[in-house]
Amino acid sequence: MKEQFTPKIVGFLCNWCSYAGADLAGAAKLKIMPSLTVIRVMCSSRIDPNLVLTTLLLGADGILIAGCHPGDCHYEKGNYYARRRFALLKKVIKTLKIDPERLQLSWVSASEGKRYAEVVNQFTEKIKKLGPNPIQTKPYL
Amino acid sequence: MSDKIGVYVCECGPNIADKVDIKKILAEISALNEPPEKIIIAKKHKLLCSKEGQDFLADEITKNELTHLVIAACSPRDHDITFMNVCKKTDLNPYLYKLVNIREHCAWIIPDKDEATEKAIQYIRAGISRVTYQAPLTEKELDSIPDVLVIGAGIAGIEASLSLAGENRKVYLVEKTSSIGGKVTRFEKILPHQGTNLDIIQEKIQAVQENENIKVFTETEVEKAIGFFGNFEIILKNIHNEEQKNDFKVGAVVVATGFDLTDPEKIPRYGYGKIEDIYTSMEIEESNSKTGKILLKSGKPPKSAALIHCVGREEKGYCSRVCCNYMFKIAQYLKEKIPAIKITEFYQDLCLPNKADQEFFIDTKNKGVDFIRFKDIAVRQKDKEKFIEYTKMDGKKEKISAEMIILAPAIEPAEGSKDIAELLNISLDETGFFQEAHQKLNPVATSIDGVYIIGSAQNPKDISDSIIDAQAVGGKILTQLIPGVKLVPEVTVSEISDAFCTGCQTCLSVCSYGAIYFDEDRNISIVNEAICRGCGNCVASCPSGAAHAKHFTSAQIYQEVLEAIR
Repeated sequence: MKEQFTPKIVGFLCNWCSYAGADLAGAAKLKIMPSLTVIRVMCSSRIDPNLVLTTLLLGADGILIAGCHPGDCHYEKGNYYARRRFALLKKVIKTLKIDPERLQLSWVSASEGKRYAEVVNQFTEKIKKLGPNPIQTKPYL
Repeated sequence: MSDKIGVYVCECGPNIADKVDIKKILAEISALNEPPEKIIIAKKHKLLCSKEGQDFLADEITKNELTHLVIAACSPRDHDITFMNVCKKTDLNPYLYKLVNIREHCAWIIPDKDEATEKAIQYIRAGISRVTYQAPLTEKELDSIPDVLVIGAGIAGIEASLSLAGENRKVYLVEKTSSIGGKVTRFEKILPHQGTNLDIIQEKIQAVQENENIKVFTETEVEKAIGFFGNFEIILKNIHNEEQKNDFKVGAVVVATGFDLTDPEKIPRYGYGKIEDIYTSMEIEESNSKTGKILLKSGKPPKSAALIHCVGREEKGYCSRVCCNYMFKIAQYLKEKIPAIKITEFYQDLCLPNKADQEFFIDTKNKGVDFIRFKDIAVRQKDKEKFIEYTKMDGKKEKISAEMIILAPAIEPAEGSKDIAELLNISLDETGFFQEAHQKLNPVATSIDGVYIIGSAQNPKDISDSIIDAQAVGGKILTQLIPGVKLVPEVTVSEISDAFCTGCQTCLSVCSYGAIYFDEDRNISIVNEAICRGCGNCVASCPSGAAHAKHFTSAQIYQEVLEAIR
């Protein structure tokens, strides 16, 4: 029997909105798939492109960046920078022959526990469908 | 020296204990022990955040001479500070500790106990890896100056000054016109109870003038304001004599620059400035409070008046909030002086937010004032007669004539708001008013610590709302800027390595706080740690890898990444 694929997903969550939203999802005891590992950063704008690319090249099957909704950034406009870097990264990832769908940016506020659960579960399902990051099987990439 | 890492798993009552296999966690974590380089002590406790749990931790840190501490428990949003304070009681630097959230992100969301246990182990391993890459950080203390600069001496600025000035706190009140009191001094009466205005405002003006802790500067502008919460350097200049300057230091700045009325001439359909006997509400207030009369240009009292609300509302894109009420007031002025006058008020929407407003509206209506809701409106003149042509809500077009027309132009930010925003490094929003830190949760604060916005500088406001703001800012400053108490700025800030910085200044352009300055001589960017909030945006933008976010360094984050994808 073929072993079931359990993806390895890294979730970079901003401290003020998305991490708080994840906490709320926990407090509400929502069922969330365990593939995603949360890494707390202060702001989504802290996620530099290098960090994302290295994480993918190290073999992560998916990366979720979650921050405050536009206009709600704790640091005024950090999430706008995150969004611009994300748009650029999507293009760069393609050139690495990695499916850009493996990278997702979502806005999750501190009050959106339910949304956080949905975002993580849907993203996990999507990555499961995409299968393992090809970088793991084709190390020459 | 070898690392001695203490890992403590909190049962959190049944919250964690029932959902993950703590015994298995402790066994696997203990197996990471690699003496002599890495010694790991793994234990559990019933409730680490309790007094007993905190004592247990402090005792463990000291007894085992821990170099690092990892706690697997709840969210850092709940108890990060609790456990940092435990560290502070011992010799362990609080930044050599890491709280791993196995409750919200494991125990509570993964129903399968085995899966939850595996996940918890993964998180704890990441925590252990990360913590050894963390660096000790020291909190600094800065002297603070309790004095305050208030810009604008209208009702909001005056009230704020009165709330703040005291034995240990000077207030510098700056006003660009020649007298203090602001626009409120031009009103004859204050609604809704139509009390005589002058007594109330004069009392406050006098209180300011008599207060030896308030220094008033009229016909003065702020030329320079540089610094951070607790320590701003201010330079003032006299408007008519640029040479006449004052400089001093303050700990906080309050912007109370108020509002202006939109010039209705910019909206031609109201005929203002072209057709005779069309006035703005402010012109009527001024004429009334100066002469006690409201007359036509011919010197005769008007037989009919049309009061048009919402002038410029569509153009501005917001409701000015105070006009409905003062238009009722003007209608009442007219009715008192000219009982036979026919008054029609035209409005797009009524805004009656305060508890006394509804009654005031009904009272005005009962005095014989007609109210018509319109979709479109325009003023035209034909053979010296003025007509208000309007489309009603049902689409029907009608017109009436009136001898006097009074407009309620939209309230807009005071002239010069943009300059003040630039001076203080705060923002204006799309309406042109000053941008608050949070519209609902933090309306008098701005993105810059120690800079506040009150009254109509933030949003169109009536007198009572302006007073509320002024008292609110009083509360904020009095509790945060205490004479003699030192300020502890954020520790987890950015730093820029001068060896790696290429002087491209990208970091300066992305920083929301103006926390980075450029040293021209050395051709490098430097972070002002007292201003930096530690978001890390400059770190992500730095092309040469010179910027680092303390406590969120790339090396620390990579350790977590490596465990996540192991």
